[in-house]
Amino acid sequence: MREPKAYFPFLLFLLLLLFILLVDRPFYLNMIFMILLFAGLSGAWNILGGFGGQLSLGHSAFFGLGAYTSSLLFVKCGIPPILGMFAGVGMAFALAAVIGIPCFRLKGPFFSLATIAIAEVLQLLAVYFKRITEGSEGLSIPFRPSLYNLTFESRNRYALVAYCFAVFVLAISYAIQRSRLGYQLAALRDEDQAAESLGVNTVWTKMAALLISGGLTAMGATIFSQYILFLEPHSEFSIDTSVNLALISMIGGLGTAIGPLIGSFLLIPLQEFLRTWIGGKYQGLHLVIYGGLLIAVVMFMPQGIIAFISRKYEALLSRLPSFSGRKAAPFAPAPPDIGPFFLQNRDFPQGRKETSKIIEVQNLSKHFGGLKAISHVSFSVQRGEILGIIGPNGAGKTTLFNMLSGVYKPDQGYVNFQGRRISGINKSHALCRAGIGRTYQLVKPFENMSVLENVMVGSFCHERGRKKSMEIALEVLNFVDLKNKKDMLAQEITLADKKRLEVARVLATRPQLLLLDEVMAGLTPVEVQEATELILNIRDYGITVIVIEHVMPAIMSLSDRVLVLAQGEKITEGTSAEVVNDERVIRAYLGEGHELA
Amino acid sequence: MIFIQILVNGLLLGGIYALISIGLTLIFGVVRVINFAHGEFLMISMYISYYCYSLLGLNPYWSLLINFPLMFVIGMGMDQIIIRPLRNAPAYMQVFATVGLSILLINLVLFIFTGDYRAIDLPFAKKVVQVGGIYLNYPRLIIFSATVLITVLLYLFLKNTDIGKQIRAIAQNRTAARLMGFKLNRIYMITFGIGSGLVGIAGGLITPVYYVYPTVGVYFVLTAFVVVVLGGMGNMIGAFLGGLIIGIVDSLSGYYIDPSLKETVYYVIFVLVLIFRPSGLMGLVGAEEMGMK
Repeated sequence: MREPKAYFPFLLFLLLLLFILLVDRPFYLNMIFMILLFAGLSGAWNILGGFGGQLSLGHSAFFGLGAYTSSLLFVKCGIPPILGMFAGVGMAFALAAVIGIPCFRLKGPFFSLATIAIAEVLQLLAVYFKRITEGSEGLSIPFRPSLYNLTFESRNRYALVAYCFAVFVLAISYAIQRSRLGYQLAALRDEDQAAESLGVNTVWTKMAALLISGGLTAMGATIFSQYILFLEPHSEFSIDTSVNLALISMIGGLGTAIGPLIGSFLLIPLQEFLRTWIGGKYQGLHLVIYGGLLIAVVMFMPQGIIAFISRKYEALLSRLPSFSGRKAAPFAPAPPDIGPFFLQNRDFPQGRKETSKIIEVQNLSKHFGGLKAISHVSFSVQRGEILGIIGPNGAGKTTLFNMLSGVYKPDQGYVNFQGRRISGINKSHALCRAGIGRTYQLVKPFENMSVLENVMVGSFCHERGRKKSMEIALEVLNFVDLKNKKDMLAQEITLADKKRLEVARVLATRPQLLLLDEVMAGLTPVEVQEATELILNIRDYGITVIVIEHVMPAIMSLSDRVLVLAQGEKITEGTSAEVVNDERVIRAYLGEGHELA
Repeated sequence: MIFIQILVNGLLLGGIYALISIGLTLIFGVVRVINFAHGEFLMISMYISYYCYSLLGLNPYWSLLINFPLMFVIGMGMDQIIIRPLRNAPAYMQVFATVGLSILLINLVLFIFTGDYRAIDLPFAKKVVQVGGIYLNYPRLIIFSATVLITVLLYLFLKNTDIGKQIRAIAQNRTAARLMGFKLNRIYMITFGIGSGLVGIAGGLITPVYYVYPTVGVYFVLTAFVVVVLGGMGNMIGAFLGGLIIGIVDSLSGYYIDPSLKETVYYVIFVLVLIFRPSGLMGLVGAEEMGMK
């Protein structure tokens, strides 16, 4: 609390609290109530929409459901809203559970469309069942001031409730951002498939975000309905509410914990101002400005206000006095050279090869329509071995990896990994957790995360705590020689480093078997040499490796054995020397009659 | 008999939905943008037809000659001004931008023309023809025929003309099309123009049978989303069939279930289609994953 970084925000919040308690002008109190309530609601939206990148335009479904649940329980059954609020949260959970799994199969704008449709359906149903909801005539909530009813005579109390709500949502947002869930959401927002193959169960991760987000929205809805004391399906379930929640986050800064609060402080007063000053005189004009603002924000400051003010804020902090005696060290534990992670990962003495098969592939086939991508391929790999897979373009190498890593399900045949049948498991994250890690031919870094954070996504596969996960990530970064770039954004580093990062991320998931898909393509000879050493190093720490590669000298010197694929079939298998002299291999690469040339 | 009458009503209604959806699906298929302001383009063209009639005495069918080119230009303008800078932005940015335009247009019209419901009093619009005990309303018959005609013309245009072929090529593979030297931006702009022009025609044609008011587009565009997803995003024939199906569902569920629940029925269909066959009736499998970035 002695650093400006800690005490300054605290002071700001304290100031706000004092303002709420001391001011008695209804105008200001109404304004601050709306600002804080919407900061909380938009913060709830941001957990799914910002952190997870799932642009819901149907959050009014949760809002309306929460508002109606608590209010109907209050009006019809006399249950106080402070309890009804939790019933509302329960209903929101139920809705999230029902719509989540199907909707998360949809991407981008399709997800938005589905969420709009769901909110519309709820609105229509709320109008239709008028015996319960009073339909379009609206539901009036009796004014019975009491804390249990979340209804008060003084607006200060209302503002205080909204303050608590906003702070609660903010605290949850910060906690998520620093947790495993937060890292996994950020990862799947950038690269769905890569996240999946680093052990992130993307569907459940999104589901967790939706549950939290929907539940918090319902909570805020109860507070709101006890404030206005009147519900009507067309306003409670309206798409305008949903858009507003998204817009507030966007203006403040999408995917940042504090963004929605900043956005709300800007947008809500502006809306109130436009509504009372312009909307009163000229119907619709305030919303023209609002719509124009939305377009302008998207086009001119997609990062939100926070991108503009964060530097100024830092500058301000640096000028504030620090009360701690010593200068605080930036958080950076010195990474150990080769630490406990690699030691614990190594389950047999270095250098000695065990004779047990780690993976066994039997008669594997996969076709796409008429194309036989892989047919009847069988092979096995010994623990601690490096197997190279080569073959001309279109030979089916990547398809084979996709089957081993759970992206595709084979049509025929099976794969046993450490004695366990895995070919039926069509889920990359499950196979990653089982110990098969893979990289992608086209690198898929999480571009908006730092190098360190990228690797932490990998270490979160088996770790829950942030600290432990960071230690592992630093250790791995040290191992692959990327630790001096740990704070750079993944989009800023070179291709060779991105490929290293790809390997580092997957190493952090502690694989037993590593599938490397063309990690050397596009690298300079020196970089190829470094990559070769890295792979040999990885093997020396007890990890079995299968590499797909086109860089022949590298793969020949690396591999204990080489397997050759052509047109989906295994042509041959053997040591490097055997393979290069094999007539069938030469024919596969150069075609018939090459000797005439 | 009543069942057949309802079916026919549904089919005619479906013609309207199909007409509105064809432009939307064309724009999505090529430009890969879901235009949330599509309904507002419909609304604007309805206002154009309304004022052409009430101020100039121009029959709404004649004012199509104004509607199409005007909406064509507006569509191209929207593409160049709003969509072009966001071409490579994440999909949610484009969603936001078009939602913003939709809000802006609705309220601009509300501000200028107020929220009053307006209708043109065309005696012709009330004429009904009876065929074998089934009543058919003239303007709706015209809309239906126009929808069929437009679908065929659009199909021929895409199949046979130079620009049409370029449009189809880009819809299938942008990167390849760019490598072939196509001017992508120009084609996007023209496609956006055509799609908007078509909804302009739709607006003109439905003005005799629907009230004109600022939020009329919202109702239709939500239905159009359902139709487009049902037919398969980017598929013209799919949009046509999807429109007819939704029209029939609308009319049947309005009669047999409850008029106020008919939208619920097709939203449920919509969500089910999104979940179980996101590529729609005729769409390419996996299309829902495209346009993602």
